[in-house]
Amino acid sequence: MSKLGGYTGKVLRIDLTQGVSKVIELERDLARGFLGGRGFNVKRMYDEIPPGTDPLGPENKLYFATGPLVGTSFPTASRFNISAKSPQTGILGDTNAGGHFASEMKYAGYDQIVLEGRSSKPVYVHVSDDNVEFRDASHLKGRGVYETDEIIKSDLGDRRVQTAIIGPAAENGVKFAGIFANLMRAAARTGMGSVMASKGVKALVIRGTGSVSVSKPRLFEALVEEIEEQIRGHEQYWGRRRMGTTRILLMANAGGFLPTRHYTAGTFEHAAEVSGERLAEEFNVKSRGCFACTIPCSRFYVVKSGEHAGLYGEGPEYESQGSFTARMGNRSLETALKANDLCNRLGLDILTTAESISWAMELHERGMLTSEEADGLDLSWGNEEAILTLIEKIARREGFGDLLADGTRVSAERLGRGMDLTMQVKGLDIIMADPRGLKGFGLGYAVASRGGDHLRSEPFLELEDDPEIGERMFGVPDATMRLAYRGKGKLVSYFEDWNAVIDALEPCKNIMQNMEILTFDLASKVIEATTGLQMTPAEVRGVGERIINVERAFNVREGIRRKDDTLPRRFMEEPLTEGASKGTVFELEPMIDEYYGERGWDLETGIPTAETLKRLGLDRASADLSKI
Amino acid sequence: MKRIIVDAAQCAGCRVCELACSYHHEGLFSPSLSRIDVYKEDKYGLDYPVYCRQCDECPPADACPVGALSKGDHGATILDAEACINCGICANVCTYNAVKLDQASKPLICDLCGGDPVCVKKCPTNALTYEESEEVTDQPEGVFRMLRERWGIDV
Repeated sequence: MSKLGGYTGKVLRIDLTQGVSKVIELERDLARGFLGGRGFNVKRMYDEIPPGTDPLGPENKLYFATGPLVGTSFPTASRFNISAKSPQTGILGDTNAGGHFASEMKYAGYDQIVLEGRSSKPVYVHVSDDNVEFRDASHLKGRGVYETDEIIKSDLGDRRVQTAIIGPAAENGVKFAGIFANLMRAAARTGMGSVMASKGVKALVIRGTGSVSVSKPRLFEALVEEIEEQIRGHEQYWGRRRMGTTRILLMANAGGFLPTRHYTAGTFEHAAEVSGERLAEEFNVKSRGCFACTIPCSRFYVVKSGEHAGLYGEGPEYESQGSFTARMGNRSLETALKANDLCNRLGLDILTTAESISWAMELHERGMLTSEEADGLDLSWGNEEAILTLIEKIARREGFGDLLADGTRVSAERLGRGMDLTMQVKGLDIIMADPRGLKGFGLGYAVASRGGDHLRSEPFLELEDDPEIGERMFGVPDATMRLAYRGKGKLVSYFEDWNAVIDALEPCKNIMQNMEILTFDLASKVIEATTGLQMTPAEVRGVGERIINVERAFNVREGIRRKDDTLPRRFMEEPLTEGASKGTVFELEPMIDEYYGERGWDLETGIPTAETLKRLGLDRASADLSKI
Repeated sequence: MKRIIVDAAQCAGCRVCELACSYHHEGLFSPSLSRIDVYKEDKYGLDYPVYCRQCDECPPADACPVGALSKGDHGATILDAEACINCGICANVCTYNAVKLDQASKPLICDLCGGDPVCVKKCPTNALTYEESEEVTDQPEGVFRMLRERWGIDV
């Protein structure tokens, strides 16, 4: 059988308990059935992590995988997924980042790297092509992400290595700590850094001198040129170059779905002061891009005056910018930049960190939490000092920060109040878009396989509010109307399948999905040109469907059922009282029915039917779930 | 003479140039086989592509014990691969670290793609241009220092 293009064809398994590693061949069926990245990770997780596994025990495994496009010149192909059972949610954990780490993995020769077991002493793992070295990391204990990166590069005498690092938050046992590549590329959702810490690993460090080639070079070149043209000519090109995702904040405010003061409002009166426009005008000094990106949208900023003068760094993106401003009622953009920087250095997920602080602020405002309980901090909306202090306390698990260090679901359990006010689904704190103003997004949060998250579906077409698109794509005009309910099952399942394919191929979702470039049709051609695998567009979508179903099967095995596919109570009972989404609540159940119908999942339990799983070739999952 | 010129304030560090170069010269996507190399300091947001500057005085050509390097068309330093004995001296003496060695220690030096450099054509931010210019003597460290000062970053 001929070798597939795009892939390196090798998987590196690193056994930390024994201090040994081995290389296995990438299974051709895995490539065809799951394509790469998120797909590779969940398939192996399903097969190798039995239900009931302790997420922080040595039996959990941490999977790094990238996709067949990465390492080639395919625009934006730079990303990788990190997956394990999540210590934050107890279900599927999965996170994704860009930068220059994933391409280095490919040049070192690996499509996937698996960290297994637990090291008896702190180590960092240095992979240099075929060599795997376990290096002492006792001198890195407790050090921040930046410092660790510098010390490792100096230890190795190599400034070209790529690093994926955990910060002190992970080492201190925070359950939502991330893994950071290129210092600021955060793979930080669902606590994958916490899992890495539990394995005694401070960093995975990679250097590769190999190459990646494609199966059909002429076809590949033509497709790349076509895509480069599409990107360059796109109406969003300059907005993204200038502002990255921070361009969203004012749009969300205009639509009345900018979560403000912990989702008690959908507009923020200081939106302009904390906008991407202001960031670009007053703070940004330079564009930066991930590997192979032809629309570099990251920005380097410098704060020149005021309390935080001298602060510099990359980013932030919208979720961080919005979370540390509107979500907690803070009007200081500079303080939000400082908060983002602290999270990067300490190794925290910005979304769960910000949700924890915002939740505590709402409890305080409602008289449900005293200052004494919060170490004497004044938790009034937008108190900048309290925001920055709490980030440090969370990372150290100190005082009130300890209560907030496991995610809001656990915080509310421990505090014995405020569970109704946690803005999380399945233990994962939700993002910066109020679902009352975006019904498809809301359905997406409710059913997403890693908990309350938009990146599984992100059905941006409903922002168009154009019934003709809904009619054309789904036969339901309402499907692409943001405040309507009908057709959202079709909309969300379509977008979930699409995003799963993108997360498997590993280009940038912001560009390839949000800018409507890498459609199933085009992906079919790209996959053939890159790998040699021939798949119809419907088969490509089938890969997405397969990934979603294995993820669901993993979660079902861990106890997830229909009752868990829900939203925070507030969205279903309290209408927004101002802004462009005023007056609506969220009526979830009919949407879930429609979604399950689209998915072929049992309406009562939410478990994929045997028929669905068999159709997708998931016989083992079918056998497992039939026993439930 | 036309030279490849870099504006480091515009370079986003995407390394599209490295991919274009290795693919053009070797038919493979491999930064380690690229004749252009982006030096980076993520902490300060700095990126600087390093490649042959077409210096009037070329220490690698002067130092080559077998005369395998010489000035060719467009002022590029051209390697006679058959004459080369893979000794690596050229990489050691280049003032700009612009000579890389492949795994067999064969030097990889920018040949300007025959006068139409692919890195310049593919650069998404136009940080690279190919234009008439005097010899450029900037070193990455100096450019990085200048940009940090311009932006107000105090190290």
